[in-house]
Amino acid sequence: MTTVALEKPRRKRKVPPVVWAFLAVPALVELGMVFWPALNSFYLSFTEWNGLGAAQPVGLENFRNLASDETFRGAFQNNVIWAVGFGGLSVLGGLALALALNRPRRGVGLYRSAIYLPMVFSLAVTGLFWRVQYQPDGTINTFLGAIGLESLEKQWLADPDTALYAVLVAAVWRQVGYVMVLYLAGLKSTDPLLDDASAVDGASAWQRFRFVTWPQLRGVNTVVFAVTVIDSLRTFDIVWAMTQGGPYHSSELLSTYMFQQGFTFLNLGYASAIAVVIFALALIFIITYLVRATKEEAA
Amino acid sequence: MISAPLSRRGFLAGLGGVGAASLLGACATGSDDSSGSAASTTLTLQSSLSDPDPKAALTKVVEGYTKNKTTLNTIAIETFRAQLPTYLNSGNPPDVLTWYAGSVARDYASKGFLLDVSDLWTGSGPCANFSPALKELSTAEGKQIFIPTNYYWWGVFYRKSAFQEWGVQVPTTWDEFIAVCKTIKSKGVAPLSMGTGSTPWVASGWFDYLNLRVNGAEFHRELLAGKHSFDSAEVKTVMDHYRQLVEYIDPKGRSYSWQDAVTPLASKKAGMYLIGAFISSAVPQDQVDDLDFFRVPIIDPSVPLAEEAPTDGYFASAKSRNAAGAKDLLAYLASAPAQQQFIELAKSSNLPTSPTVDTSKFSPLVQKGIELLNDSKAITQFFNRDSSDELQTTADTALTKFLDRPGDVNKILTEWQASAKKVLGS
Repeated sequence: MTTVALEKPRRKRKVPPVVWAFLAVPALVELGMVFWPALNSFYLSFTEWNGLGAAQPVGLENFRNLASDETFRGAFQNNVIWAVGFGGLSVLGGLALALALNRPRRGVGLYRSAIYLPMVFSLAVTGLFWRVQYQPDGTINTFLGAIGLESLEKQWLADPDTALYAVLVAAVWRQVGYVMVLYLAGLKSTDPLLDDASAVDGASAWQRFRFVTWPQLRGVNTVVFAVTVIDSLRTFDIVWAMTQGGPYHSSELLSTYMFQQGFTFLNLGYASAIAVVIFALALIFIITYLVRATKEEAA
Repeated sequence: MISAPLSRRGFLAGLGGVGAASLLGACATGSDDSSGSAASTTLTLQSSLSDPDPKAALTKVVEGYTKNKTTLNTIAIETFRAQLPTYLNSGNPPDVLTWYAGSVARDYASKGFLLDVSDLWTGSGPCANFSPALKELSTAEGKQIFIPTNYYWWGVFYRKSAFQEWGVQVPTTWDEFIAVCKTIKSKGVAPLSMGTGSTPWVASGWFDYLNLRVNGAEFHRELLAGKHSFDSAEVKTVMDHYRQLVEYIDPKGRSYSWQDAVTPLASKKAGMYLIGAFISSAVPQDQVDDLDFFRVPIIDPSVPLAEEAPTDGYFASAKSRNAAGAKDLLAYLASAPAQQQFIELAKSSNLPTSPTVDTSKFSPLVQKGIELLNDSKAITQFFNRDSSDELQTTADTALTKFLDRPGDVNKILTEWQASAKKVLGS
């Protein structure tokens, strides 16, 4: 696919100045509207600024304060839990559903669309919907009571031990249909002959999946990984809609903490420092991933 | 169309221009504004009253002002809160803005952002006959910088018919109050409703009141200004009283907002609710007449009686291009007819600040609210208005944690003091 494009002979040709001029337009737009604000955010992270008057440079103080800020550390931990939980569960769930619904049989389209349906709701709507389910007298507790599990009834969103996971379930519920569709597309491009051949050779269902189907899904895995990492790092709206990071910061993520610092308390310098940390994290993930991907491609 | 490709190019060039302009000219921290050449006679009123009824009410009130052309800008409250410093600091700020009296306004005054409106408070000015407590509340560094136009009270709300059913009387002392809680609980009903889920600030209501009843208004104000410590012996006494309440508070309230927590009260699954008078807009219409309230019980009779009465109103920007016009608009908004019109149209239980407003037509509940405040020796606002929104979040964290784990109170107070110190120090 992409390798074909790379192998095309490259002819050296002088680029006419007018083309440069045309290229300069989007470049300027990009510079002015993306890079400049981003750079400003970096600058602000070294200052103290409340939106009034001029920003006071404070050097690395914001970052030192971050290191000793327990809420920030909690949010960081939660972000790790979130990335692993959200990524892991939605990929496993999506893959399992895709495998189960891959073979054509009666009504399979109905199942597929039903599972994909949550994806059409915005995260804020998803959050509101799940908040109702999690209410003390909501569907989940009523259901648990009906099947005799009263002891498991909880105030899911008000309990600091369960709040983050309760939000996680809601987010995965929405994401899983999306991942399923990606994998379904991937499975369509696998070669059914290989599967049949290995079945004839006596391979078990697990062996056929692990050694025949899985290697063929590499391309889709790339997409799924990128989508999942990006989605999990930018998670904000569903947490905000369901718990606003509470109770007492137990479901705080870096993004919600940044929003609170920046736009509720107007500690814009401090909030920018958190933004820089989020940026660095995203960069680490993406770069490690890209390095690995290019290595594999070369191999 | 011939112009189509041209306009596309024009659009791109424009985009490039915007990009380049922001690249060259933008400075994230600059705030000078040189383009403000708007006609200085038109007044701008920036309003945070974005709920439908108050918004419609203010629109109507502003329509009645004809002396200067006035534009009303209504902004959603959360955005307004976030942008307020930017509004006041810009080169061509809105002339008049809605906001809260107390520390919040004083804080902006100390930065020099607010117009001195002292002359509206003297002689035949519209605020000259307002109560001394309101004047004190609107004063910063000896000058008046705020025009209060309405306020509301807090109380323990309950349903009269429910109290009758359960055979309980309105308590006036702490011991009576605890006894009432006990009786209600014995009927299988949660004695106290409190929605601390998405609105954790509600938990500060009891904290404020217990502090007012145990240590008095003076100490309370000083505590919120950082002059006392949250892990002091005085605050520990307050929390001892709070702790006695914990077993009577509906545990489901932890998942509710303040509005959600009204439902158990309305359906008699909860007995009482310490909340502001705005509760009357949240109970079903047919129950408004059944709704009543009582003063938070007295704990120490030697402590002067204090009540919370959050005050709303307006201030003007110091940099207004038309200061005389801004003051004239403020005078209009503070006038008795404008206050009355606003309160009636907004369908709130708010009280007018002007003593000349005819309150005889207001509901019996509101009459009782006026009496409650007239009897009190000191008025406070609310935790966030007496301190800051940032200190409020330290209270939210500490108090919701306390409600979950009342046994850890000492540890929680130490943490609270540490985070409060961080906020007050910055």
